[in-house]
Amino acid sequence: MRILLVEDDPMIGEAIQGALKDASYAADWVNNGATALTALDTQHYDLVLLDLGLPGKDGLQVLGCIRARGNGVPLLIITARDSLDDRLHGLDGGADDYLLKPFDMAELLARMRAVLRRKGGAALSLLSNGVVSLDLISKQASTGEIPETQLSSREFALLQALLIRPGAILSRSDLEDRIYGWGNEVESNAVEFLIHGLRRKLGSHVIKNVRGMGWMVSKNA
Amino acid sequence: MDGFKKRLSESVQLRLSVSLSLAILIVAVLAGVFAFVSAFDEALEMQDNTLHQVAVLFERQQMTLAYPRSEGEIAGDDEESRVIVQYLGDGSHVPANIEAGGPLPLPATLADGLSTLTVAGEPFRVLVRTLGNGKRIAVAQETGIRDKDARESAWRGLLPFLILFPVLLLVVADLLRKLFRPIAVLAAEIDQRGEQELHAIDDKHVPAEVRPFVLAINRLLGRVAQSMDGQRRFVADAAHELRSPLTALSLQAERLAAAEMSGLARERLFALRRGIERGKSLIEQLLALATAQANATPSSAPVSVYAVYRRVLEDLLPLAELKQIDIGVEGAEDVHLALSEIDLLALVRNLVDNAIRYTPVGGRVDLSVSREQGGALLQIKDSGPGIAVEERERVFDPFYRSLGSQAVGSGLGLSIVKAIAERTGARIRLAYCDEAEQHGLYVSLWWPLATA
Repeated sequence: MRILLVEDDPMIGEAIQGALKDASYAADWVNNGATALTALDTQHYDLVLLDLGLPGKDGLQVLGCIRARGNGVPLLIITARDSLDDRLHGLDGGADDYLLKPFDMAELLARMRAVLRRKGGAALSLLSNGVVSLDLISKQASTGEIPETQLSSREFALLQALLIRPGAILSRSDLEDRIYGWGNEVESNAVEFLIHGLRRKLGSHVIKNVRGMGWMVSKNA
Repeated sequence: MDGFKKRLSESVQLRLSVSLSLAILIVAVLAGVFAFVSAFDEALEMQDNTLHQVAVLFERQQMTLAYPRSEGEIAGDDEESRVIVQYLGDGSHVPANIEAGGPLPLPATLADGLSTLTVAGEPFRVLVRTLGNGKRIAVAQETGIRDKDARESAWRGLLPFLILFPVLLLVVADLLRKLFRPIAVLAAEIDQRGEQELHAIDDKHVPAEVRPFVLAINRLLGRVAQSMDGQRRFVADAAHELRSPLTALSLQAERLAAAEMSGLARERLFALRRGIERGKSLIEQLLALATAQANATPSSAPVSVYAVYRRVLEDLLPLAELKQIDIGVEGAEDVHLALSEIDLLALVRNLVDNAIRYTPVGGRVDLSVSREQGGALLQIKDSGPGIAVEERERVFDPFYRSLGSQAVGSGLGLSIVKAIAERTGARIRLAYCDEAEQHGLYVSLWWPLATA
């Protein structure tokens, strides 16, 4: 994977480039917008990391130029500008994600993977939060300790709902909406019953209860 | 008395009232004395004129005199106001009772014209006139009654002043109060303002004399707002500028962690990275405070408190899990507030973050929201040490940290909370969860709900 890094701060540029190399990406680093545009004309990149506060041509202008040329390369903005307007401008201008400085490299890499996955349109067949993985085709779940376990279709629906956004808390009614279709009568305690079943199969730490709010699977395990 | 003097030198209104009252009093007294004296003189002159007219009448009609001898009384006769007409010398040789209207014993040497004499122990006003036939007559009246009449008419002249004086005082007092009311209203308006309300004072209904003062205050307010703005912008800009070097630092430290190193080096790197994390969170909190203190966050559609609680719990659950804190929401009620979501998020996040930080391992944090007294009541309780009563004002100051607290925080959390609470019109209250044991922090926030 070839990445173009557009960043004018030498310390940050160097650190990101190094970290990208550590993560087995091929990273080219330029420090201004004009060079970035030239590089994009001559070379195919799988992803662009763009800082907004660039000398000369501002990051948002660079973004505009890239999209105006019909280049749909996946693009992630990394910036210290945190106002809502800047964010909206960036995303409206055709950026795929927006990451605020200071950030952790781990987060940048995760966001890059997410953007690449989204842009690549690769159909996901596996959902995972690092603790539990769910195979969307075979409806089997597994954790570090427990090998592939077959889930019932309602258990599968519930775990899938939680794994789509790890870290998000889903209330009982959120989960009922996901499990039951229109017109299906909701049995009382159904959600608790299903979660109890899932915990028995996969371990009690897999699904966490948040008192008074609902349930979640943890985000970064 | 000293207090009064001090107030007199300080209060224009009091000074005006007192000096106007004194001026009115002096004028009224002078005018009254003058009116009294002139009315008195006028009355006496009138009575002298009457004596003249009687004398003239006597001569013109060529009347003759017959002194009453009988003791019988004539109706309407009154000794005191009686006018006596007699030949000048008669009093000494006509034996008659003065009480009954007999002639007075007047000295024959009396010159023509008016004089005041004491006859038989009573003062008389006497007019002597020499008639055409050489006879001299005296027309007399007791001065007692004359003076009494004159005094009465003089008092009547004085009456308007006696009535007008208190009326005038009341009018002046009322007028002064009315004239000074705009200033009192202005003071009250300025007094009620919050720290952030630095808009100009309305000078439309202010008297022209006070307007320059108001304009000067407005200019000062403008300058203060500008300097506060500048300060806020500086904090925001500085924090902003610090982001880049700190990002570089943190990225380098992160890369370093991937390298081979000894156990000791790794331990030190861990401490270094924790320090960098603190720096990062301080910068974020500084920016959050600058945002919280800035005025303009447009409030959009009502935001669900429950949804905000959920977002905050999603963010902070890892922190709570690390300390095995049982965190949760009590009650199933949800309330919608007319606040910007960013404000409410920052506010709740800082309060919950604080609660988690100060609650010991294995503790408990409870969030709740309810409708109370026509408003929305947000409550956040923890099982930490709580905040002592004497510290409750100061904990809202930036960078203030409770004595003996072990928790590591930016010291800005509660300042952010206060800034947002003030700007959005919330009442914030700190208490103990358990007042008897003085334990556990209980934060409550109350917003009035628009009755819709």
